[in-house]
Amino acid sequence: MQVFKLCLRVLKKNIPSLLIYVVIFLAISLIMALAHTNEQEDALFSPSKSNIAFLSAEETPLVRGLKEELGKVANFVELPDDAEALQDALFFREVSYILRVPEGFSERFMNGEQVQLEKTIVPDSFSNAYLDLKIDQYLNSARLYVEQIEDLSQESLVQYLKSDLSADTPVELKTNGVKAADHVYTNYYFNYLAYSMLAVLILGTSALMLVYHDQDLQRRNACSPLSPGSFNRQFFLAILVFTGLTWFLMVIFCFLFNFKNLVNINAVFFVANSFVFAVCAAGISFLVGNMVKSESSIPAVCNVLTLGLAFISGVFVPAELLGSSVLKVASFTPTYWYVAANNRIAALASFNYASLQPVFSAMLIQAGFALAFIAIALVLGKKRRLE
Amino acid sequence: MIVRVKNLVKRYGELLALDHLSFTVNDGEVFGLLGPNGSGKTTAINCILSLLEYDKGEVEIFGRPMRPDAYDIKREIGIVMQNVAVYNELTVYENIDYFCGLYVEDKKLRKRLVEEAINFVGLKDFKGYYPKKLSGGLLRRLNIACGIAHKPKLIILDEPTVAVDPQSRYKILEGILELNRLGATVIYTSHYMEEVEQICSRIMIIDKGRAIATGTKDELKAMITLGEKITVESQHITPGQLNRLRALPHVMEAEYKNKQLVIKSGKGANNLEAVLDFIKKEKIQYGKIYSELPTLNDVFLEITGKQLRD
Repeated sequence: MQVFKLCLRVLKKNIPSLLIYVVIFLAISLIMALAHTNEQEDALFSPSKSNIAFLSAEETPLVRGLKEELGKVANFVELPDDAEALQDALFFREVSYILRVPEGFSERFMNGEQVQLEKTIVPDSFSNAYLDLKIDQYLNSARLYVEQIEDLSQESLVQYLKSDLSADTPVELKTNGVKAADHVYTNYYFNYLAYSMLAVLILGTSALMLVYHDQDLQRRNACSPLSPGSFNRQFFLAILVFTGLTWFLMVIFCFLFNFKNLVNINAVFFVANSFVFAVCAAGISFLVGNMVKSESSIPAVCNVLTLGLAFISGVFVPAELLGSSVLKVASFTPTYWYVAANNRIAALASFNYASLQPVFSAMLIQAGFALAFIAIALVLGKKRRLE
Repeated sequence: MIVRVKNLVKRYGELLALDHLSFTVNDGEVFGLLGPNGSGKTTAINCILSLLEYDKGEVEIFGRPMRPDAYDIKREIGIVMQNVAVYNELTVYENIDYFCGLYVEDKKLRKRLVEEAINFVGLKDFKGYYPKKLSGGLLRRLNIACGIAHKPKLIILDEPTVAVDPQSRYKILEGILELNRLGATVIYTSHYMEEVEQICSRIMIIDKGRAIATGTKDELKAMITLGEKITVESQHITPGQLNRLRALPHVMEAEYKNKQLVIKSGKGANNLEAVLDFIKKEKIQYGKIYSELPTLNDVFLEITGKQLRD
């Protein structure tokens, strides 16, 4: 196993540069993954209040009740009842909603007549929809009481409405009885793995391939009693072991920091997908290693290739933000299918054939890419040896 | 007989690199392949080692035909390539251990052999160094150590002293003689005639892929008519004096150039004495006068009509 040991020694010599990449890549992966996790948490629902000018021509219990209810979803801004002042306030976004209660509104409402409130809003302001809903909810509920109970006083009506509208309905999301794990971090981590793992594999494998293709060393080795078959077997075994170790190290790192979210079936698919991608990355690295001709060109090729693939495939920028033409080009790369599979795995709630089929398809496509890269690399390698 | 090469022909397209080359190397000799750059020395070595396919001919080593898969033969051969072939990622020790390990599986034996090789080439103080940290001479020594660590019966050294300082060259040549004394048969290629003269027991001069002369250095020198070269440093020699000198018996050629009178004499005694008598008689003023026996370059020059280093 002289050649195998030789390869390990060559890799060992390159460990400092590889480790720098591993550490930096993993740190960036962690930071970015955590940052995205926080973003995701912030994006969860939290109520916000719109600014509203409430102008009422009367002070009745019904109007007070309405104002009190709106106070839960709006901030009241005091404005003079002057057309110009109100327009300025809307223009400068001091308020986004002006509600005017006309004279005699409460009395006519209690009598069951059709009445309307006047509103002036900032055009296309989506926050006003919530206020509209709240006003509709309040008045529709009030209308129900007025129509059903005779001689209902405004005070009683407001009490009923206050009691009804304060009731909350707790909602619990359940997925097939399994406690839903947080796959956001895992999803981002495994997506970033496409960049870091590919970079490390290209750097390591290219260093090995440069040694392999050194003509003087090749001739020297050919003079020895070691058959070319045995030499090649040991060499490729070393590449496989290196690939396996890199993959294992990077996956284990995720488990160390995110264990609680990885004890589920989704994690198994994340790991399986990353393994298929590792094989594919080994194929790419093998191909790159057969093409580079000097040590100095390795980092440049590595950076261009890994960053390029990562950018167009949705590793750094979510695929939803990329143009359709970019995604079309990206679909000719294995990274795209790896990221697509990861995103699907993260969204998996049930594990039947229909939901898993796209994941398996993406994995198969990656495996196909791996075979193609290895085949091209073997052809190029043979051509280079014969030169 | 250790190596037998018969009618070896190798073409690179239109170029005939080896032209029916035949020679034998006997057990225990240091066989020199001498020829100018591009004469076919390295091609011949590559064909002998089955690194190159040849068009015609036979190569036998240890009495068996040499083929790319003749691993039992390869096990007994040590090769020191013209270009240094070591791994920059491995230290001096690791490089020798790697190449020795291709031949010797036993770890204990290998450790001993590697240590011996390191001591042999004088790299004891550089064991942990990486090749990039070594000077050209030390690198060549490492190259040799990698080739001979497994104690082969036949050692082939292809121009091992190219671009090496005189001190390292001396060590390398001494080492090769020592290996030969320890029982190894050596094939040594070079275009440095002094080296070949110094260490080779038998020499083959090669040019344009053809063997033009083979023998010991004395046998080779005996093949030519030149017996002695006398050089006289003088400020002035007239054309008449030069003509009279050329008329002397045994003088084959006399030329006056750059204030140096070079007289080539044929084989025979008292050549120098005859020249000294002539100088005295002609009252020629001179600074230095010295005589040289023919070199392999003279042999090459006389046979091919060109200098060995052309």
